[in-house]
Amino acid sequence: MSNNSRISPVTGHYVTIDVEGIEYKVFYLENGEGQPLVCQHTAGAHNHQWRDLLEDEEITSNYRVIAYDLTRHGKSDPPRNTDWWKEEYKLTADHFVAFITAFCDALGLEDPIFMGSSFGGNVALQLALRHPDRFKAVIPVEGADYSPGFYLDWWQHPHANAAQVCASGVWDLMAPQSPERDRWATWFYYSQGSEAFKGDLYFYSVDHDLRDRLGDIDGDACPVIMLTGEYDYLTTPEDGERTAKQIRGAEFIEMKDIGHFPMSENYPRFAQYLKHALQRIEERTSLPG
Amino acid sequence: MATATAQKPVDRFRQLSDGDAEIQAHGKYFSCSYLLDMEAHSFLVRVHHGRIEELIVDPEPLVAYDFAIRATAETWQGFCQPTPGPMYHGIWAATFRRGMRLEGDLLVLMQNLRCLTRQLELLRVTGPLG
Repeated sequence: MSNNSRISPVTGHYVTIDVEGIEYKVFYLENGEGQPLVCQHTAGAHNHQWRDLLEDEEITSNYRVIAYDLTRHGKSDPPRNTDWWKEEYKLTADHFVAFITAFCDALGLEDPIFMGSSFGGNVALQLALRHPDRFKAVIPVEGADYSPGFYLDWWQHPHANAAQVCASGVWDLMAPQSPERDRWATWFYYSQGSEAFKGDLYFYSVDHDLRDRLGDIDGDACPVIMLTGEYDYLTTPEDGERTAKQIRGAEFIEMKDIGHFPMSENYPRFAQYLKHALQRIEERTSLPG
Repeated sequence: MATATAQKPVDRFRQLSDGDAEIQAHGKYFSCSYLLDMEAHSFLVRVHHGRIEELIVDPEPLVAYDFAIRATAETWQGFCQPTPGPMYHGIWAATFRRGMRLEGDLLVLMQNLRCLTRQLELLRVTGPLG
């Protein structure tokens, strides 16, 4: 074994779950012990976006970090017991929420914190609205009540190189200050997801619309700590702040010099904000009464 | 060095693009023509197999191109900074938030998006072309 060899403490597993009568074999990575922290990647991507969080000992010493691949992403295949290729893929809020809760149930997670970015941030808001009793708190990253404009045919156009359109099409969502190496890793993940990206964005830009529902979210029962990067042109800091203001007890934190894929484009910078968010959750949920 | 600093931005842009490792590595099929409308001046860029064949300042009316990228001088000024501020940091960002307009045959733009994105980032080095 050379001196450079090193086996990561992160482990991968498959779990088979049933969601709305359909069977999904879901791949997830995990590391750490303690409070479960369930992480959702962005649309058209996969769980490697959380690669540095999964190996951050400062967090994994107190949190069991679990990053899964949504079905059709990464190593989570499309379902085996349906003819999925005969239908256009369009992710809905109902299905997304059902998938996440089924996954958490299958792993027997008690009171997990849910964190997601982009469409994962939007679904975090859906979880806080629909299942405040099932999650200790949610951390919507780059989320908003409504995020129109990205459900585009270009992501899956047969006359263009869809892999490159998806990857370079999200390039501007990252901040120029983020390390080039990490921006290119994120680009690379996007080149792998072009058959899911557009359908994911059906949820992100069309089906997800909580503009009239934010007042129904109980941010005291399920604290909502929103994080948004200042270079995010899709869900801008203004969008995040506007959303947080309408949720009882929600908090909003703007992240400087970072974009729409904070955990993947510049983890060290994101980690500062994330640790603050986790601290706030700890403070708020440990108070008596 | 005196020659380099006196070089016009358009010439610098051509030189940087034709010598760019990323464009040359991936630009075998990078071929398109596009107009950069920077308000005071416009620039027609013709790319063929990853190299800039022609770069015309203020082209004549009725000259054809595949697509145009139009924005105010103020938006381009922000776009062409070494480290652009938020919402000036790319054509998608500026189109969503800074009034940039992508016009013409956008399919050609999408077909060339990878190398085009890199090529336009060279404006961070040259500054506005004029």
